[in-house]
Amino acid sequence: MEAEPHSLSIPSHRLRLTGAFGIVWAICLTNWMWIQLDWQVVTWCQAIVFAASLPISIAWIRWARSPKQRHPITLCIVLTIAFVFLWQLSVFSYDLAEWDIARTQLARVGTAALFFVGLAWIVWGVERASQQFESQRQAARAEMPIVLDPNTEAQAFDQATDQRSNHPLDPEAWYYGGHTPKLNQSVAALASYSIAFMLMFLVFTQMGGCRELYEMPAGGGQQQTISQTVKVQKVIKKKYVINPFSAISFKVPPIDEVKLQLTEITKHAYTVGYGQGAGAGFAGGTKQGQVRFIRLEYAGGDWDQDFGIGADVNMLIEYGVRTKQKVAKRTESRTIVQLKNFPAEKSPPMVYLTGQRNISLSDSEVKILREYLLEKHGMIFGDNGGSDGFHNQFVGMMNRVLPNVRPSRIPLDDMIHRVPFQIPFLPYVAPHGGKDALGWRVDGRLVCYYHPGDIGDAWTDDHSGVSPEIYEACYQLGTNVIFYAHAEYSKWLFSRQQRKK
Amino acid sequence: MVVLAATAKEVSDMTQRLQRNANPFSPEGTTANSLGREPQDGGYPQNPKPRRGDTMPCGGRVVSPLRSSVRFAQTRTWGLRPRLLHAAAPRLRDHSIALVIAMIGCLSSIPTASAARLDELSLERWAKLREVERYQLNIAEKYYRDKNYKVAVSEYEKFLTLYEGSEGAPYAQLKWSLCKIELRQQNTAIKEGFQSVIDYWPDSPEAVAAAYYIGRGYKDIGEVRKAKKAYQVVLDDHPKHLSAVYAVVDLIDITTIDDDVETRVKLWKRLTFDTERTRESTNHCVRASQQLATYSFERGLFNDGVKALETTYSDEQAVYQVSNHARGPVSRLVSKDETKNKGEQIADQGVAWIRQQIPTDRSTPEAKQAALNHWYYMADLQAAARREEKVAEIYDQALKAFGANDKTLQRLGDWYKSITKYDQARQQYAKFENKIEAQNQIAYSYRQQQNYEAAVQAYQRNVAADPDNQAKWSSEVANAYREARKYDQAIAIYNELMKTDSENADRWLWLMATSYRDGGKHKEAIGYYRQCNNFPSNYQEMAGCHRALKEYGEAVILYNQIVGGAPKTAPWAMLQIGYTNEQAGKKESAIKAFQQVCKNFPKDRYASQAHAHLQTKYKITVTLGGAKDE
Repeated sequence: MEAEPHSLSIPSHRLRLTGAFGIVWAICLTNWMWIQLDWQVVTWCQAIVFAASLPISIAWIRWARSPKQRHPITLCIVLTIAFVFLWQLSVFSYDLAEWDIARTQLARVGTAALFFVGLAWIVWGVERASQQFESQRQAARAEMPIVLDPNTEAQAFDQATDQRSNHPLDPEAWYYGGHTPKLNQSVAALASYSIAFMLMFLVFTQMGGCRELYEMPAGGGQQQTISQTVKVQKVIKKKYVINPFSAISFKVPPIDEVKLQLTEITKHAYTVGYGQGAGAGFAGGTKQGQVRFIRLEYAGGDWDQDFGIGADVNMLIEYGVRTKQKVAKRTESRTIVQLKNFPAEKSPPMVYLTGQRNISLSDSEVKILREYLLEKHGMIFGDNGGSDGFHNQFVGMMNRVLPNVRPSRIPLDDMIHRVPFQIPFLPYVAPHGGKDALGWRVDGRLVCYYHPGDIGDAWTDDHSGVSPEIYEACYQLGTNVIFYAHAEYSKWLFSRQQRKK
Repeated sequence: MVVLAATAKEVSDMTQRLQRNANPFSPEGTTANSLGREPQDGGYPQNPKPRRGDTMPCGGRVVSPLRSSVRFAQTRTWGLRPRLLHAAAPRLRDHSIALVIAMIGCLSSIPTASAARLDELSLERWAKLREVERYQLNIAEKYYRDKNYKVAVSEYEKFLTLYEGSEGAPYAQLKWSLCKIELRQQNTAIKEGFQSVIDYWPDSPEAVAAAYYIGRGYKDIGEVRKAKKAYQVVLDDHPKHLSAVYAVVDLIDITTIDDDVETRVKLWKRLTFDTERTRESTNHCVRASQQLATYSFERGLFNDGVKALETTYSDEQAVYQVSNHARGPVSRLVSKDETKNKGEQIADQGVAWIRQQIPTDRSTPEAKQAALNHWYYMADLQAAARREEKVAEIYDQALKAFGANDKTLQRLGDWYKSITKYDQARQQYAKFENKIEAQNQIAYSYRQQQNYEAAVQAYQRNVAADPDNQAKWSSEVANAYREARKYDQAIAIYNELMKTDSENADRWLWLMATSYRDGGKHKEAIGYYRQCNNFPSNYQEMAGCHRALKEYGEAVILYNQIVGGAPKTAPWAMLQIGYTNEQAGKKESAIKAFQQVCKNFPKDRYASQAHAHLQTKYKITVTLGGAKDE
């Protein structure tokens, strides 16, 4: 690319305004990605700020395309910056619309696109710099004194060209070698850029500094089975005393004709929760806290099976309706590595893991999961999404995570099957991994509940066509598992607080 | 040790009563039971906890004062189930027969493995039950045996309500708890069942069993810490009881999970050296001694391993067991460079020890064989240590000392095969006295090397030399041809066998059909499968052939016949209908068939396949199905 010197005449007020907007945008982005204040005002502000990036980007692009400023480089710079803003706006919009799969795909495609855009700039920059170095070298050669002796001239020329610099943008730098310096420089630039991009990606998505918090809804309640009461209301039909000799003919009803009207009322005889506190919730929770449904992302299989088509969010809504606890508006997903971002007393009490193919975990992921279950008092809610192969994968994964714990069949009279709903049988959609729920217990606490028969399919909008009895029981079982995890977490928080005192 | 405590008269009285009560549904029993006429004259064993009017765990109420009768110790039980005697009762005619039965009862105390011995009622205590009690208990037992646990629970509850003071009450409570275990209500079983047995009848034999079952229940639901605690209580309170043996066995299992080798070895030693071996405990002790021996050999402690095995075996059996249990550890140890020396050391010690045990008496053929066996065991041990020269040397010595015989040559040949020296193996087989078996072994070794031509030749020599077993050798020739994928030759032989060995015609038909199928001649295969009588297997194969011929309609008809005629195979056949329709391009019919599998057989594993297929292939979420495991 030929370098063309040009001057930019950017109005200072426009630049200042855009700079201010950029700062606000960065703050909003930080909150959206990491802090995640879920107040309605904040959400609205975020939406306005992100939406404002669209007209601002359009205005800048129009400015760059205007006949006054028509310059390809200026246009490219503007387009690149606008791409970042618009990509973020699109991801945010999908997130708001709860199109989770589209959001995930867009985030991935956008990351790849950003990589290539960056790479294009690197290529341009390196080329431009090397041309500059080359022209400087040409100028130096031109300034050389004319010597009549051809041998001396050759020596001087060699000296001038052999003065290789250490500058990485100079293709004649000594470390690029003598044979194919240009190629070597390009490879080095590509490698450096790729590593730098990967590191930045890790910093933004995985590594420290991206602290996340999970807070349970504040409140209290008892860990008991919901009682059902049946109210019997007797409706006695009106009886008429009739003169049998009356001229009017009446149909005489039987004297004791009584119509019973039975009304089944399921009322919460107590507040569903754990600990002392007003309203349904958990001791150790916070005012802005809420029950969230987090799906675990893993490599090797289809962690996102049925993700974003109602299953998880239906369960979360049903949980809220049945327990009267505050629940999140939408469901989420996190990678295993991201579990590390949650601090010990503010980590999710339960994560949901499903699929029907392989589960491939690295040693560090196994370690993170072990730490999550044992030290952060978490729980995995496993669900076999469709094959006996997944059953073996899941059990194998748990054997790696907890080698000294053997899975056992969870009894039907276990706490998790009784509270808040009494479940006298194990409901399933299809017996992919047998007909028994398996549990991994540590010190009496279930750290993993494994459902063998695709409970998630019963939560979908169409309930997979199973009978109402089954999908109702599946919702109840899901509620029980979520509640169990939160109640156990609450107990643990309480005991830690007591110990601190 | 089982002690016979009942006298002949007691047994006689009992059997007479049993004769009267032979039919558990007799009108006499029903009337007495249904009217509840029986006075509540029974009582509870000494126990300070329950008081008059207390609610019993299963709905009954304590109404009578405690009876200070002598409790029957577990050692006084016969181990005979009441139902066995009950079934035998109608045939008992007099006291002498009763005595014979009692003798049989004694003799039946030969050690056998039975974890269910704890849940039995002794015959003495059974004799103390009144007729109505036995009647009610029999009903409950019947449902328990039929695995109808829900009904059994209510029948045991009824027993406890009606006859709470009965001698059989703790037994009924124990069985009630076991029913709850079967119904997967372990927590209820432990807290309301087994614990109640201990609380209300602490001196009954069932209390000891209940203490063990509490540990077992906790272990089954993964409450390892509570299980350990419960087992420890059993070991402390009843160290000599059978429950303690079971507790130790379960604790060994827990140490495997915890990877606690030290405790495991202690427990193995307890079972091996310190536990009295009775009919019920022997198997566990034997297994523990074997595991301890293997562990000792693995650690290089040869003498400790031998000592452990000598608690169970003697003479030649001990030698065999030492060789058998040392082979694994030796093989594992020599496979690693760092432990190779230890493995070879164990092998040397083992060989030296076996050599010491070789009997000098070789006067009879049996004694000679017993002595020869010692050489085999030494050779096995050296083979495990991968010392080929020493193995060959031992076999040479054996052949010199005892002369060549087919068994020794067979072992030597097999060993050569194990180290892939097939030619040397065949040289040994060729020396057999039994030339037919020699050719059989030679042919088999050729088949292992996939040299089918040579195998066929060897088998054909047997066809000629052994006319009595011509069919057997001919079928082996055919098998070799099939392995070599020469289906036409195999079919020709099966055709011949159809004529010469018509008794096994079905078998030859099936093999012929299979050969046609494997050879890609599906039409002919269908014809022969049709002649077979093993429905639905032949229909399954026929349908498979039709699918290979792309005659999907025919295949679906056959699968439908399987659905109608073989209920056990119906889910599979229905799933295959789906796959066949899919192959035929009938998408909608395929989807319907898969949904039918889910809907009609929701508990079957094929429903799982259909469900997953609908989701992955067709992206259909409404798969139907859904069930509950009750």
